[in-house]
Amino acid sequence: MKTLLRASILALAALSAGAAQAADDTDSVGPMPVTGDVPAMCSAGAVEGGDTVFALGVIVDTATGFLLSDLTAPPKTLAASFCNTRSTISISATPMTAQAFAGPAPQGFSNAVDYTATASGWTDPAARYNTGEAAHPDATQTRPTAFTGDITVDVSAFTTVGGNTLRMVADPLYQGLVTVTLAAVS
Amino acid sequence: MTAARNILALAFTAALLVPAAGMAADSDQKTVGVSGNVAKLCVLGEPTPASVDLGQMAATSGTRVGRITAIADQAVTLPGSFCNYAGTQLTVQASALLADDASPVQPGFSRAVNFTSTVSNWTAAPAAVTTAASESGATPSASAAGQTQAAPKLANLDLVLSGFAAPSDALLVAGGYTGSVTVTLGPSATP
Repeated sequence: MKTLLRASILALAALSAGAAQAADDTDSVGPMPVTGDVPAMCSAGAVEGGDTVFALGVIVDTATGFLLSDLTAPPKTLAASFCNTRSTISISATPMTAQAFAGPAPQGFSNAVDYTATASGWTDPAARYNTGEAAHPDATQTRPTAFTGDITVDVSAFTTVGGNTLRMVADPLYQGLVTVTLAAVS
Repeated sequence: MTAARNILALAFTAALLVPAAGMAADSDQKTVGVSGNVAKLCVLGEPTPASVDLGQMAATSGTRVGRITAIADQAVTLPGSFCNYAGTQLTVQASALLADDASPVQPGFSRAVNFTSTVSNWTAAPAAVTTAASESGATPSASAAGQTQAAPKLANLDLVLSGFAAPSDALLVAGGYTGSVTVTLGPSATP
């Protein structure tokens, strides 16, 4: 009977050992995955100082009536702009046109001014748009990495639409529009 | 087969002994020991839920656009976890969420999101660890051990992920992010 009991106990012990393979004095779960995502996004910062107008003042030589050749305006800064992935920066602009003067400009006069708008700080070379040109190959530039920083927008190289032999018609407001666009590229 | 033979042999021997014992006295007594053992076990319940998805982590508007948004605490239960022996402790190992995009991180950006993992209900003080990955995603892993539990214990363990934050509160690079948490229950390193 002793041998019989011992055999039974051994059998039970063997069974326990089999079950013990599934558990130990230590157990671990994981790694449990923790996931999240961030969408591609761009933000062109606000125009620094809140002043969104390039104010050129009087744009003609009051002695001759011709467009001033040395027109300048302080650049505008789009502060703390960013794209969190690869991106493009695009700039477009419309000529400055006389807002109050109606109809076509009389002979010898022009009612519009072309210029070049430049957005720099994002890419090298900067994005550039000349309102007097038909094609704008430099208007869109690609940056292969995420970036955050200031974009400087500048206007320059003002020329009379129709040629510099034309005088500007009088008008209280010549106005154009510069648009800078940041876009995420997947 | 050997055991079977032994049993048969024993039965035969016993049959021979019965008359002999009967000759010595009208009763007899034998003691047979019964023994067994229970191994030290720790078992953690299946984590519920089995994974944590934080979804969209960045603010898309307002003053914090591009930076991490407020992310609610995430709770995971490990029900019916137990150790059948004294002197055990929890260890929590966590890895910060890192962007799948491993390209070099530009200034002002982060590809890491750190968080705190807290496991409570095992000892008076919970086991907690906070990851401290850098903006570039370096050193994402962190590990910490809890207190020693002085008795066998059965409990529902609560894992809470909280305090999601980007290093330096930097802008987050776009893309999917992956991190992990591992909970271990075993003998205390300092019993």
